[in-house]
Amino acid sequence: MDDNHDSTLAPSTLPRKVVLGFQDVEDLTAPDLPTEPLPLNMGPSHPAMHGTVRMVLEVEGERISSADIQIGYLHRCFEKESESATWTQVFPYTDRLNYISPMLNNVGYAMAVEKLLGITKEIPERAQFIRVIVGEVSRITDHLTCLGASAMELGAFTVFLYALKAREWLFELLEEVCGARLTSTYLRVGGVAYDLPPEFDAKLRSIVERTQVVLSDISKLLDRNRIFRDRMDGIGIITREDAVAYGITGPVGRSTGLAYDVRKDHPYLVYDRFDFDVPVGSVGDNFDRYAVRVEEIHQSIRILDQALKQIPAGPFMHPDPRISLPPKNEVYNSIEAMIAHFKNIMDGIHVPSGEVYSFTEAGNGELGFYLVSDGTGRPWKCRVRPPCFSATEVLTKVLPGLFIADVVPTFGMINMIGGECDR
Amino acid sequence: MTTTTPPSTTTPEMVTITIDGKTHQFPKGTVLLEACNAVGAEVPFFCYHPGLSSPAVCRQCLVDVKGQPKPVPSCYTPVADKMEVMTRSPRAVDVRRQMLEFTLVNHPIDCPICDKAGECMLQKQYFDWDAKLARNDGIKVHKAKVVDIGPHIVLDQERCILCTRCIRVCDEVAKNHQLEMAQRGDHEVLTTAPGHQLDNPYSLNTVDVCPVGALTAKDFRFSMRVWELYTTPSICPGCATGCNVEVHHSRGKIHRLVPRENLAVNKQWMCDEGRFTYKRVHAQRLAAPFSAGAPVEWDRALDDAGKLLRAALDANPLEVGVVMNAQSTNEDLYALAKLTFDHLGLGKAYLAGLDQGWSDDILVSADKNPNTAGAMAIGAGRLRTLLDLANDLKSGAVTTLLVVGTHGVLATDAPSALPLDKLKRLVVIGTHRGHLTEVAQVAMPLSEWAESDGTFTNRLGMVQRVRAAVPAAGDALPGWEILSHLARKLGATMDFTEAKAVFAEAKSKLPFMKEADWGRVQLPVQLRFAGSRG
Amino acid sequence: MAQIVLDQLNAKFTGGEILESGTTHGDEWARIRRDAWIAAATFLRDDPATKMEMFIDLTCVDRLGIRGGKPDAPRFDVVVHLYSVSHKHRVRLYCGANEDDAWVDTLCNVWAGANWYEREAYDLYGVRFKGHPDLRRILMYPEFVGHPLRKDYPKEKRQPLVRRQAGSRE
Repeated sequence: MDDNHDSTLAPSTLPRKVVLGFQDVEDLTAPDLPTEPLPLNMGPSHPAMHGTVRMVLEVEGERISSADIQIGYLHRCFEKESESATWTQVFPYTDRLNYISPMLNNVGYAMAVEKLLGITKEIPERAQFIRVIVGEVSRITDHLTCLGASAMELGAFTVFLYALKAREWLFELLEEVCGARLTSTYLRVGGVAYDLPPEFDAKLRSIVERTQVVLSDISKLLDRNRIFRDRMDGIGIITREDAVAYGITGPVGRSTGLAYDVRKDHPYLVYDRFDFDVPVGSVGDNFDRYAVRVEEIHQSIRILDQALKQIPAGPFMHPDPRISLPPKNEVYNSIEAMIAHFKNIMDGIHVPSGEVYSFTEAGNGELGFYLVSDGTGRPWKCRVRPPCFSATEVLTKVLPGLFIADVVPTFGMINMIGGECDR
Repeated sequence: MTTTTPPSTTTPEMVTITIDGKTHQFPKGTVLLEACNAVGAEVPFFCYHPGLSSPAVCRQCLVDVKGQPKPVPSCYTPVADKMEVMTRSPRAVDVRRQMLEFTLVNHPIDCPICDKAGECMLQKQYFDWDAKLARNDGIKVHKAKVVDIGPHIVLDQERCILCTRCIRVCDEVAKNHQLEMAQRGDHEVLTTAPGHQLDNPYSLNTVDVCPVGALTAKDFRFSMRVWELYTTPSICPGCATGCNVEVHHSRGKIHRLVPRENLAVNKQWMCDEGRFTYKRVHAQRLAAPFSAGAPVEWDRALDDAGKLLRAALDANPLEVGVVMNAQSTNEDLYALAKLTFDHLGLGKAYLAGLDQGWSDDILVSADKNPNTAGAMAIGAGRLRTLLDLANDLKSGAVTTLLVVGTHGVLATDAPSALPLDKLKRLVVIGTHRGHLTEVAQVAMPLSEWAESDGTFTNRLGMVQRVRAAVPAAGDALPGWEILSHLARKLGATMDFTEAKAVFAEAKSKLPFMKEADWGRVQLPVQLRFAGSRG
Repeated sequence: MAQIVLDQLNAKFTGGEILESGTTHGDEWARIRRDAWIAAATFLRDDPATKMEMFIDLTCVDRLGIRGGKPDAPRFDVVVHLYSVSHKHRVRLYCGANEDDAWVDTLCNVWAGANWYEREAYDLYGVRFKGHPDLRRILMYPEFVGHPLRKDYPKEKRQPLVRRQAGSRE
């Protein structure tokens, strides 16, 4: 530790003064030196532009004067494909939206279709608990990935490996539940596809314990780390007014001081039965976003603990054969179940015509699904309102004035997931 | 379910009835089932068909009428003044469910291998009105499956729900009793009448009307799942009746034709022969322009054709013959007439087409060309027959021929074969390959009826819209487009860029097209579930 | 729960600007006439009883083919979702635009967040936003031809810059 080490946790607010040999920075703007703004291209093929994003920056020296953020490199026509798929066939597409927290997208979409069908209150209770559990597991994986990747980009490679180690345990658990780590397609309209495997409770508790150890390790490595704090504190400040005007919710929105969490303000599924807090930041800088995410993982663990205690036994799928597939032995042995299975799969669930907007709290904020049905088994329009779209949009306002190097942690902490932003 | 009513000359007497609490007015004599479906109070049915008599055997359409002790079959009941109908009363809904349960008791579990799946009325109505799992697990009654009952149709007796629609089609539409029910109760089966096969010329209509997959067409069996089919409305080119059809196609290939309702032309039916006219769209097509026996680019073929025709016209325009075809659309014929009579100044043309055939007084016309009326009207007295052409060719009066449309002129050994020994120059614009395209100096591919947007005029003088269902085979182009390019090579100006423009010009010039309508742009509709027909 | 929003709208705009409003599936919605689009949006943002400060979503619906019941209805509907963080209520606004006249005023000056959403609606549906500072494509590449989410743009349509696969006809 040298004399320059600042041992307080307060963000460094002192102006930075760089000493270059014998000249001060201010001298470099002397009129005899020709200067012009430099267009600098960051991405789309760039280690820090994860999700694939291109930033065309105009820089003066090291400072960015304007940023044009060009998204769309991961656009895979989610909406157009949904229009030719049945309501159930859209689930695999939703997995691939925010692909780090696939269950949360499944939940959002399933709830939207159920709202349009009018069966939100008829979802079996066990299914609701399962949805909350896998949803919170996905939220933890989302936040761990964000923390890990951002830390790695700042040079903390160990943190990345720790975070991914914990994430891998959770993905393996999800693999036991639904068969796939990432592309789960676990939910169905009316419930979940399969019940939780045996010993899920014990396995999840053990993973959660180990994850808390990992989190505490990460905190020890980062929270009072000089480099980390210097690069994160006071950088990339988003004001609360901007968050509201741009529609930024989730950890990014809450870091600005906007205390809005769909689970608390408009509880859905069985979230109203759980006791948990919503961390809210105050400054809106990168460090606040980091701190909010870490705290959210702790709160998710709290919810998981309560959910595992309260989950009842029972059916995990809506009983109506017009919505859910009948049991296989019936399908092969009775014409009624055969027809129900056939129509369900070939036609799709007959959702009455209408429109609905349904919103849930995904890893990045309010994930909205705006569905338009024309009365058939296929959506007429299936719009995803991506939470990180707004957050990426605000960067066009936040980046100017920052150094080029600040782009990396700022963009990392926004957690723009290409699959969700571009769809 | 909508019915296109032909215009009536007198105002019908109206009655007022209440359906599910709302009052409506209907003409006296309207069937209650049609009335309910027209206002959105959907009532399911199996045995009812608007083009057939109503025996009320299936009992699926039962509704509650105030004052009646039992639910009444709405397909058999005409609307009566001050009738109060409840289609959604608990008893009506329960009765519907019960009827479906009965119908399904012995129904085989064939959906994965049944052609009708996806357009099956039983599947649709189960999903809408029953949706309860089976209560009985007894052994089903077994009957004969895969019974060959005629040249085009296969019967599966187990799937039959005994609605008798097919029997009524044969009796009332084809006027030939070939099907009947045998046995009673659980064992009742559909079978052919003693000594008969199901071979009348309207037999495939039974496949259309069959609500389930009991009757299936041999031509379509196992060839394509219906939800992958797109439908485009068009007109059958089989004869001058011009039955309205739906072309069912997928990925550029036509899989079947089914009739479309038009009460003025073909009601809800079409003949079997017409159904098979889709096959010629995909067989033996001339797919690329040919010049001097080798395939060439369009521009080169048009150049060569232009040079040939220009040389012929310069030598002696009286020796140039143009052959129109009664299978072409009005638009193609108009463009050809404009080129021939207006631009090239020829005084006559010849009309070719398929030979006359058999006819009956139900639907089939002896004239096997869909647009003879259009051709005659556009030709306006300047058309000679194929016989005249044969004579002129034999005598050498015609030494250059421009043939547009190859139907009926391709064969070499038919009595209508054209003698070509004295012919010096031959340019063929046609759809199919044959002797004529082999010997032509220039042959250019033409798009078939199912690939063209245009109109046909039927024997009653009605101008009906033909729509393109599949993309043209190979490099084929519509006739009016080819002729526009050819006209340019011959020094005339005829610049049509879309079929609609040709139609508009023809409509302004030709009196018989005065009432014609091009219609709106229609996206191909995907067949999703039963209800599009049946 | 957001009936107050509809009530305030209907009370303030009495000249027929609110073409229709209602609640379906628990969502409150209102259809605004195009000339009152910005006025209604600004009112909803500022009025203390509604206070819809948060811009949630803007998208477009192409109703080609499902206007059977109302053939004169506009083909495109620009749909905006708004939220009030203070009052915790939401509303959905519709603004119709015909096919040959597909434009709507921009909401960028009311909520800064509308910028990218409007760019996306323009990119995918071809609806222009009058007054937008930077209306260009956002998800598609600049040389893209057409507006892909329109119902008459077939999914399999090929773009001029995309090379044909050898042996395929289309």
